[in-house]
Amino acid sequence: MNNLDDLRAIWHSAKTEDLPSSKEMMQMVRAFRFQKLRNKWIVISLSIVFASLLVGVLIVTPFKMVSTYIGGGMIILADLWILISNIRSLKRFNQLEDCSNLEFLSFIEKTRQNQHYYYKNTLVKVVLLCSVGLGIYLFEPLHQHLLWLIGAYAAIIVYYGLLWFVVRPRSFARNQNKLDAMARHLNNMAGQLK
Amino acid sequence: MPDFEEIYKRYAPQIFRVCLGYTNDADQAKDLVQETFIAVWKGLPGFRNQSQISTWIFRIATNHCLRALEVAKRMPSAELPFNLADKEEESPEEKLSLLYRCIAELDETDRIIISLELEGLPQAEIAAVIGISSGNVRVKIHRIKDKLAQKLKVYEQFR
Repeated sequence: MNNLDDLRAIWHSAKTEDLPSSKEMMQMVRAFRFQKLRNKWIVISLSIVFASLLVGVLIVTPFKMVSTYIGGGMIILADLWILISNIRSLKRFNQLEDCSNLEFLSFIEKTRQNQHYYYKNTLVKVVLLCSVGLGIYLFEPLHQHLLWLIGAYAAIIVYYGLLWFVVRPRSFARNQNKLDAMARHLNNMAGQLK
Repeated sequence: MPDFEEIYKRYAPQIFRVCLGYTNDADQAKDLVQETFIAVWKGLPGFRNQSQISTWIFRIATNHCLRALEVAKRMPSAELPFNLADKEEESPEEKLSLLYRCIAELDETDRIIISLELEGLPQAEIAAVIGISSGNVRVKIHRIKDKLAQKLKVYEQFR
């Protein structure tokens, strides 16, 4: 059984009859084609809808204070930031399919670095921009009702506090573990090809 | 442009064997075949014949294999000799199972290289799939065959 021809004969004896037929595969393809990058598509679609809505509100509503437009602009900017980084990521995934294993390993490593940068930098700037923007944006509609103003700002502070000090560190730790495992896996495999 | 159904009929068994060589798990191999052909279906309209279609498909399949972080192994290798010890003659299924177990003990990239070699791909095509030179592939195949022969020999000693 040590002879390569023997091994080839054994190798080709693997049963492949259980594989789905081409028609079944077509059905699966249709059902699953968007599932893989579904989360990215959801984020992109929601970002576009939200940005369009806010632009509409800023155009249609005759706000008196410049701060409202500045706040709204900051929220739209944060939204567009998320949109662009997700579109770039999607574009990178779409360009991926015709590359060798070695190129693929460096692509995955680059993606890992991008994800790390996203959590460490992009997300921080986006949340900061969005929370400050929201605070400024809400000033005009609430400034004549002190209680509403205090209540709204308290709610914003609590919400972003939770997001910042509870949700983000947990999510970061969870993703960091995955990314570290991926880094070890990639380093190991890249080393095998040297 | 080649027809998807024809491509599937022609390459699905080959891709399945390569994925099975990598994972040593039929269910996981089937999932990888499915992922591969979803990617093929999506990429087919943009495929510009810059490489052979087989190279393109094997690249997609092996990249999906490499991305699978946790690969199942049906049985720890150390237990194998005891399970086979009382068998007089190996059936074809047992030989195949033994071959897959030995391949599963190799490094990830070695598994891919030997699977493509056993599948009968020319070494230049294997080089294009992996992204290393043909000379390097030849050397690697030689080394992997030695490793595989040693593993098979060890298991056969226990028979």
